[in-house]
Amino acid sequence: MSQELLFYSFAGLIALCSVMVVTSRNPVISAIFLVGDLFLLAGLYASMEAHFIAAIQILVYAGAIVVLFMFVIMLLNLDPDQRSQVQIAAPEVGVLALTVIAFAVVGGMLVFGQPTGVSGEMTAEAINSAGGNTFTVGMVLYTKYLWPFELASMLIMLAIIASIVIAKKDRPKSATEGDKRRLAHG
Amino acid sequence: MGLTDLVALLSSDAAIQIIASIVKILIIVVLCLQIPPVMVWAERRAPAMMQRRKGPNRVGIGKFRLYGLLQSAADAVKLIFKEEVVPTGANKVVYHIAPIFSVFTAFLVACAIPYGNDITVFGQQISLSPIRLDVGFLFILAMSSLAVYGVTLAGWASNNKYSLLGSLRASAQMISYEIPLGMSLIPLVIIFGTLDLNKMVIAQSAFPWSWGVVRAPISFFLFFICMFAETNRSPFDLAEGESELVAGFHTEYNSAKFAAFFLSEYVAMFVLSALAATVFFGGWQVPFVPYDLLLKIAFGLDWLAALVGFLFLLLKAGFFMWVYVWVRWTLPRFRYDQLMALGWKFMLPIGLFNLLITALVVAIFDTVTRH
Repeated sequence: MSQELLFYSFAGLIALCSVMVVTSRNPVISAIFLVGDLFLLAGLYASMEAHFIAAIQILVYAGAIVVLFMFVIMLLNLDPDQRSQVQIAAPEVGVLALTVIAFAVVGGMLVFGQPTGVSGEMTAEAINSAGGNTFTVGMVLYTKYLWPFELASMLIMLAIIASIVIAKKDRPKSATEGDKRRLAHG
Repeated sequence: MGLTDLVALLSSDAAIQIIASIVKILIIVVLCLQIPPVMVWAERRAPAMMQRRKGPNRVGIGKFRLYGLLQSAADAVKLIFKEEVVPTGANKVVYHIAPIFSVFTAFLVACAIPYGNDITVFGQQISLSPIRLDVGFLFILAMSSLAVYGVTLAGWASNNKYSLLGSLRASAQMISYEIPLGMSLIPLVIIFGTLDLNKMVIAQSAFPWSWGVVRAPISFFLFFICMFAETNRSPFDLAEGESELVAGFHTEYNSAKFAAFFLSEYVAMFVLSALAATVFFGGWQVPFVPYDLLLKIAFGLDWLAALVGFLFLLLKAGFFMWVYVWVRWTLPRFRYDQLMALGWKFMLPIGLFNLLITALVVAIFDTVTRH
């Protein structure tokens, strides 16, 4: 009973924050609600006794990735007129699609299983008896899922190198061309 | 429902835990609220002592001047009664909620530190930290990374170029030094084999040769430097340096909100000091007195032993707070590019190297002792 109460309250707040992310006029407020979303999601993980994932969620998502988003939003500094030009093309279609998805998700949950992850073989008791959250994640991540782990880090490295290459300024082709550039800027 | 029913409900296991949690949170919050007045006093009298002058010693009630301690009370009263001026063009919502991030995360981290060993009250085992998680250590790092938002949002919402510059610098500094901070603490996790801070304190017995600072000295060196960078204190305080950017991200904040930022800075200092004391200097352990001996000295009362441990933790954290003030008034500040270069090019490689060496040594030690 308390598990379901926790789940529904967290889920309701997450849904509310997500709606606010999408409908805020100001992108910084959207980013703040995104932080709220991720924080509440971490709370949901914690309510399922996955403390390690909850802490890592806050550390990585809320504490690093959204900070990056926020830097970009602040430095772009959209004018209010530019912002209000974004109109939703066909709101009726959007509402219809959302309703269908909501029914599918909720219906699926009610028909097929419990809303909280307490069934199946990865229950909290099983994980605790196997040595705790951190231990089991470590044991599985570095043995069974080692190849996907390494490939994922290669992918991230690719993205970093690509962004550096794209953002790098052009160097002057010759020495005199470089001088001309400096003079032009005064 | 009669009185006996109420008493029976209140003495059930869950109720005792809940009441204990509330009491713990109240005590920690009140403790953290007492720190800024004391620190403000120390920040003004300590440099006076170092610079051979007297600090503030005029504020007093009647004849009792109390060495300037009442100056902090006067400052607090002034800050509360000052008029609050919100700059025009400031984003009203974000301007008002930015200090909340700083204060909230600072107090949350303060709740995750073990202030003493588990005690038994009415048959229930109660841990002496309001947030007791088996990944308590990761929780502290996570909350420190949320503290960046207070600084970033405050500077952006103020509609002021100096604030924006200051806040971007400060937040870039904070996120850059989070990495060596975490990296310096991972070897300790490897050495002690647990992420739970209370178990880490127990693993460092009362004898100083098994404390974290002796087992992982490079980690302590890195953590000590990152402590200053994370709280934007000298010599890393370019982001709020008075001679550079007016007052950085809190330029446009006055009265109670400025007090909130001030409070969050000092509580963050206390929290990092207490963390240093916990993982490197044995936390609530009394030096040279193991916990069972302490229990015997305390007439077998575990709450008395826990109280003594708590006082020693405060002493150790207080020492680091003194070092904070000492370093502030001794060293000149870093230039911003020197600061970032130090974080990324010096401390990160050393942290990685330290992690590698520690992992190798622990792995070899484990394999050797197993055979």
